[in-house]
Amino acid sequence: MKAEKKQKKSTKRDSSFGLIIYKSTVGDRIFNAVNIFLFAVFMIICVFPFYYLFINTISDNELVNRGMITFIPKGIHLSNYKALLNISDLGKSFIVTISRTILGTALMVAVSGFAGYIVTKQHMWKRKLWYRMIVITMYFNAGLIPWYLNMLMLGLTNSFWAYIIPGIVAPYNIILVKTYVESISQELEESALLDGATTMQVFTKIIWPLSKPILATIAIFGAVGNWNSFQDSLLLMNSNPGLYTLQHRLYIYLNQATSISSEIDAAMVDRIAAGMLSNRIIKYSISMVTVIPILCVYPFMQRYFVKGIMLGAVKG
Amino acid sequence: MENSAKTTLSRPLKPFNVIYWFQRSLILFSIVTLFLPSFNPGRIVDKISKYCSIFTAAVSFENLTSKIGQGFTKEWVTEGTFRLVQFSSMALILGIVVCCIGGCMSLGNNRMRIRGIIFPISGAIIMLGGMFGVHTAYGRVTAELIASGKEKKLGIRTEDGSFYFMLVLAIAILVLSIILLIGELKCEKEQKMEMLERYKLFLYMLPILLVAFIFSYLPLWGWRYAFFDYKAGADLTMDTFVGFKWFKFLFESEVTRNDIFRVLKNTLAMSGLGILTSWFPIAFAIFLSEIRSTGFRKTVQILTTIPNFISWVLVYAIAFSLFSTEGFVNDVIEQITGVAANTNYLQNDSLSWLKMLLWGTWKGLGWSAIVYIAAISGVDQSLYEAAMVDGAGRFKRMVHITVPALVPTYCVMLMLSIANILSNGMEQYLVFSNAINKDTLEVLDLYVYNLGIGGGQIPLSTVVSMAKSLISVTLLFVANNVSKLIRGESII
Repeated sequence: MKAEKKQKKSTKRDSSFGLIIYKSTVGDRIFNAVNIFLFAVFMIICVFPFYYLFINTISDNELVNRGMITFIPKGIHLSNYKALLNISDLGKSFIVTISRTILGTALMVAVSGFAGYIVTKQHMWKRKLWYRMIVITMYFNAGLIPWYLNMLMLGLTNSFWAYIIPGIVAPYNIILVKTYVESISQELEESALLDGATTMQVFTKIIWPLSKPILATIAIFGAVGNWNSFQDSLLLMNSNPGLYTLQHRLYIYLNQATSISSEIDAAMVDRIAAGMLSNRIIKYSISMVTVIPILCVYPFMQRYFVKGIMLGAVKG
Repeated sequence: MENSAKTTLSRPLKPFNVIYWFQRSLILFSIVTLFLPSFNPGRIVDKISKYCSIFTAAVSFENLTSKIGQGFTKEWVTEGTFRLVQFSSMALILGIVVCCIGGCMSLGNNRMRIRGIIFPISGAIIMLGGMFGVHTAYGRVTAELIASGKEKKLGIRTEDGSFYFMLVLAIAILVLSIILLIGELKCEKEQKMEMLERYKLFLYMLPILLVAFIFSYLPLWGWRYAFFDYKAGADLTMDTFVGFKWFKFLFESEVTRNDIFRVLKNTLAMSGLGILTSWFPIAFAIFLSEIRSTGFRKTVQILTTIPNFISWVLVYAIAFSLFSTEGFVNDVIEQITGVAANTNYLQNDSLSWLKMLLWGTWKGLGWSAIVYIAAISGVDQSLYEAAMVDGAGRFKRMVHITVPALVPTYCVMLMLSIANILSNGMEQYLVFSNAINKDTLEVLDLYVYNLGIGGGQIPLSTVVSMAKSLISVTLLFVANNVSKLIRGESII
């Protein structure tokens, strides 16, 4: 018993690499300390900006305007976020962005799931050709202006559908699903087909439930992409500001050098005049509103993205 | 399994299978014409936008009549005429969709095919109805314009090539279908309609392929604008073919030539810096894996990947909060020195390239390292143990075991970034650019945007887009072949 324990101890593996720990020299310790220090600094650099934005939106506005809030929040209140409710454009953009995120992601996941399954079927007529035709679009495109002219030609400018329809077929996600479906045992599918199930039934009853992990992964990436979308709004919604996405709206506010007061109602203008609110605080608060949803779903997506990126490294 | 096990079903006989292919191709082509403005028969006056395809005319009355507004208010023409065009376009779409159903059914067995022939026949008749509607609209609008004496204002037209083309298309589908109906009636019919599994699977795939075609391949049609003359503000036309005028203009005009060189310098500098620093994620992954505490490693990974998931606009918002006149840096300087500091570090063109690189690194480093971290955890542990037994120190183990394990992944990433040397994306540079730093920030993608959308120079920016796409795809092929040659593996 004792000997066994001893052996266990001597071969105790480092949780990361299974290295047998012999001893650490002074050089090792210095290296470790420097290493940990550098990573800690980079971590802080990554997180501090978000923290800084946040404390400046919840601290006492007068202190913020005097530039007194740098590390510690003082005089916490939430009235700035309430004040944002008075900016009607922001509300519209919020609704547009949420709807495109939900609708666009749902359709993209459904289509990628189905297409990813269908392209694994060996006896499809000219399967390789169709699959390549979809994959090539990842590497080759006609360019920005031809794409814009195409959208113009399709009548998809200044229309909500411009956000949804082009994103339905996502080649990269189709490849991810295809790779995943190929790893599912073929026997399940074959036995279902022998029992008289149709291709559609196999898809809805077997493949779809079994590929939930990969579907969740692409759903999360799709949702983040939709939420962050800016370019399509900038290019296509010229004459319909009601359809600007949140990111586009934020971009416009950030670039308004002097004041946002033309966009907001009289009550807020008064508050700005009284020094209670400032453009800086409004800009920070809008930024926070835009980033908070990402930070909220972030813990959930965390466990999916390693899987996603590893599957992606496998070629289509 | 019954269906897929069967490899043969009754097929059309000798002359008819050719006719079927002909008919299906016509139907497929007619779908494409729905989205191509040059095939729109319903441009009854010149003032209808030249971007207006049958599809656009059917779904959006606003788009159809975007330039006719004055014509309605001053009662030169009636709204009814244009509604007629819209309904006719809808009829054309409906007809083509119905034809499609027939085209799909023609892949089945005898019974299915014969049942299916009724669809292209009725579809073609609906299309002809639509064409009649367009013809009536031509007549009405001409009469109205002559009555009001404003022929010149809206630009009177008579039925042109696209009208007769669609007419011929519809008639051809109708005639072919009738021939098929007569020819096929004789053949033996099965008990039920069936289709081979391989065609069924293809039909499931077809809608997805169509969407991919419309949004990824159809834009190539826009390349033709690079060869036609254009005046800013006017409609894009294909009236005057100018050959390679815009290609030459790009280098003959002093202004654009200088622009191109400046933009290329920026693009190559930023991509070059990116490639030079492409080993950062590897270093990140290796040094991270040297940390023993799992908890700390996980925390680092979680926190450093956050910036990857926010948009460039938000990155700019953060830059704004830290470095603008009222930002964090100025506040801290003020608090320490007691002197008012009001420097706007964003309105500054020194070291732009480096700053962009740093923002890119801030956003992407943690994320790009993930793939290497995963690769490191896949290395066979006994290698490390054996190396330790042989007396290899920490750095020797890194250099001789970890690094070689990462090289294949790194090669793929490097090749891809070389292939993408001209595509930096425009969002980052757009959000960070302002009047002061715009000369050093403008990369090719942003230049195309500024030139085409901002400046309205459609043909010129199409030329640049086109050249960029062609060069990029060539680079990708070269990189792929180099990779095949060196590593025996392709990257795409």
